[in-house]
Order: sequence, then C-alpha cells, then structure tokens
Amino acid sequence: MARLLPVATTVFAMLLSIQPVPIPGYAAVTPAFTLMAAYHWTIYRPDLLPALALFVIGTLQDLLTGGPTGVTALLLLLAYSIVLTHRRHFVNRPFAFVWGGFTLLSSGAMLFLWALHSLLAAEFLDLRGTVFRGVLTVAAFPAASFLLGRTQRALMGEG
Amino acid sequence: MNSNSNMLEPGRKSAIFLQNGGEWRRQIKRIKFPLLVLAAATMITLGKSDQLGLEPLRSKVMDAAAPALEMLSRPAILLDAAIGRARDLIAVYQDNVQLAAENERLLVWQQAALRLASENAELRDLLKLAPEPAISYLTVRIIANSGGAYVRSVMVDAGRRSGVVRGQAAISGDGLVGRVTEVGDSAARVLLITDLNSRVPVIVEGSRRRAVLTGDNSERPSLRNMETGPAIRIGDRIVTLGQGGVFPPELPVGIVAALDGEVARVEPYAALSLVDYLRLVDYGHSDLLPGSLSLTACGGKRSDPSLGQPVRR
Repeated sequence: MARLLPVATTVFAMLLSIQPVPIPGYAAVTPAFTLMAAYHWTIYRPDLLPALALFVIGTLQDLLTGGPTGVTALLLLLAYSIVLTHRRHFVNRPFAFVWGGFTLLSSGAMLFLWALHSLLAAEFLDLRGTVFRGVLTVAAFPAASFLLGRTQRALMGEG
Repeated sequence: MNSNSNMLEPGRKSAIFLQNGGEWRRQIKRIKFPLLVLAAATMITLGKSDQLGLEPLRSKVMDAAAPALEMLSRPAILLDAAIGRARDLIAVYQDNVQLAAENERLLVWQQAALRLASENAELRDLLKLAPEPAISYLTVRIIANSGGAYVRSVMVDAGRRSGVVRGQAAISGDGLVGRVTEVGDSAARVLLITDLNSRVPVIVEGSRRRAVLTGDNSERPSLRNMETGPAIRIGDRIVTLGQGGVFPPELPVGIVAALDGEVARVEPYAALSLVDYLRLVDYGHSDLLPGSLSLTACGGKRSDPSLGQPVRR
C-alpha cells in the first residue's frame, strides 16, 4: 500500500490545487502543488512515480480545470525528465539544494506555461500573474516538502 | 539493445524468446517517455483546433471527481463560515445601526417599486405585450476553481440531473458571473466573464450602446466592438443585452471603472473570487447555443417538467 503513496499524494496535490479558497485573486496564483509533489517524488522515489502516472495526473488536472488539455501533462513530463537527470545533485543533500533546485525548476515551469499559453492564445499574455504564482510556489515548497517527507518516512521508512 | 540474439544456437529457442520478450519490454520502456510527451503535445495541438472531441471525457472526469472535490472543499467553507461569524459578532452593533438606516431607505424604494410594478403591469396590459418567459433559478455551490493563471472557470456541484443546461447564465447576488460551458451528470463548469475566451453581448445603460464584454484573464473585462454613440463615462452601468438568447436581458454585469483610451474596463458587480454559491438562471433559451455531441445525445431538454424547477436547496 505504501508504494502507492507517491501517486496518491500527487493526485491529492492536484485536487488541492483546484480547491476554491475565498481569498481575492487566489485562483490565479494558486501554488503549483502538483509540481511540488512530482519534484519531491522524482528525487526520492522515481521508481514509484512513473512517467505514465504523471501523464495521467496532468491530463486529469487539465480536464478538471478546463484548460487546454495536455499542457500540465507535458509540463510534468518535462519536469520529470529534467529532475531525473539531475537527481544525484539533490539526494542526501541539505534542503537548501533541494529548494534551490525547485526554484530553478518552477521558474522554468512558469515561463514554459506562459510561453505555451501565449502561443495557444496567439498573443502575449500578462506575465504578472505567472510571476506571482511562481513566487508563491517557491515560497510554499518548504511546507509541502516537509509534509511529503514526513509522510514518506512515516509510511515507507527511509526511502 | 544488443544484436547477439541471432548468434545463439537453435537449441536455446525459449531463451531467445524470453530474451526477446525482455528486449521488447526494454524497447517499450525506452520509447515510452517520448511517446507520452508526444501524446501530450498532440493533445495540445488537436485540442487547440477542437478536433479532439474530449467533451464527453471532460464531463465524465468532472462527475468522477465531484464527490472528492466537494468533500475537500468543505473545510474551507466551514472555516470561511466561522471567520464570517466571528466578524459578524464583532460588528453587530455597527451593523444594526447601519441596517436600520438602510431599512428606512429601502422602505421608500419599496413603495416606488410597487407603484412602478403596478404601472408597468397596466401599461403592458394596454400594449398587449407577451409576458416574459418565466425564469427559474438553481442554487449551486462552487467545488473547484481553475487554479492557474490562464483559465478563469469554476466547477459547480450540480449537473444535468438537476436541470443544468449548457449556456445557462450564472449569477451571484450582485451580478453576472459567467455561463455554463460544460455539463456532466452531477457537476458542471462555469466559464467566468473574466476568462480569455468569454464574450458577453452587453449594453451600456443610458446610452444604449451595444458592446461585447471581452475577458482577458484580468479582473476587469473590457468592452470591445462598441457601437458608435454617446461617450461612455466612468460609472456607467453595464447590463446584458439578451439578444441572441444566451443570456436573459438586463442582468446587471458591472460598471465602467476605467477608460484607457478607447477601451472601457468594466468592474463586475460580482466579487468573482469571493463567491461560494452561484445561481444558474434558466431562461429557456439554452437550446439556441451550438450544442456539442454530448448535449444532443443526453437531451437536457426543457420538455421534462421536473427539470425546469429549481431542484436543489
């Protein structure tokens, strides 16, 4: 059962990121929780969060938000392959490294989303919301990482 | 990976088979990732030109996720209610004074409204005007939002089973919020008027100039394709046009809040990001929208009397 944890928490993160929260303007700048979970598990247990799962979860998120289908799936897959090739820099390293890596990744992800959506809309979209969302995502990462790490240790032992 | 399988003796046929099986699996593994990336990219490209036919899948996913989303959104709602109650308690005296004053003012308005209503009825009678179609409302709760910078939509906890039909207008107490774009059995999606893809025919009250309220993902949609006419001023009321039948006429939308050059920006009456509940307006015109396959297949017809009623809450 514990082997399902990475997929389960990533699905939970996906559902969390579409939760309505009564804060003005929150929806537009909701932290990218799904990306956090994908990053965490790709570093610590890539064997238990396969690319196929990320593809399915990303597609589900797009279907649920009504956004262009495939965008989140593509984003998660690219993030997965990038993180996987640089995994060794993060495993058993101080948290600052992991956070730094995530900052780079989410900056890239936000720019990628902006570029892709601008391309799809055939116009340059406002970048401000995306920048703010990126900042919130990076700021929320330590908490998410802590929770994911705790759950991981509690249910799977040292992984 | 290796090409030595054809160098093995014939006696090891089963071994070859096994090895080839493993090889095959390895090959699949190797191309799986590019395949998935390709699939995602294909979905994006085909989805852009609406060739994917994902609508039925979308509504299925919505239906499947609705119970989980509904449960997850409950704590936030409870917290919100608790905070609201605490705030109300603190402000109870001030509110009371304010409400008493407001009540006095509203009583005057009530008299005016009653007088106008009876006058209106008499005039309608004189002109033999056809009565307006009955409007029914359905109250729904928001269970998910779009969680991202590029889509402005919400999911609500009622669908076809409760009588939700594609094209229905969604309003909050204050004004127009959006329109139903996808309908599942027990959930539906409402595209907000601020979304990049939202276009609402509106009219500027007073000058009667028509325009299209065009969303651009910002908090204030703009008025485009405006008819020529008297100048627009900040503070002008914007209401729905109601022609073309998608929206009921004269639904309050917002007020002109800023004019940058030619473009007027409209501040919606509804505080879109603070709304918990919506009302879907059933005006009986929804069949005029170009329907999708799923819609025609599943009906959503007005003829069933049970569907026309506000069923929930």
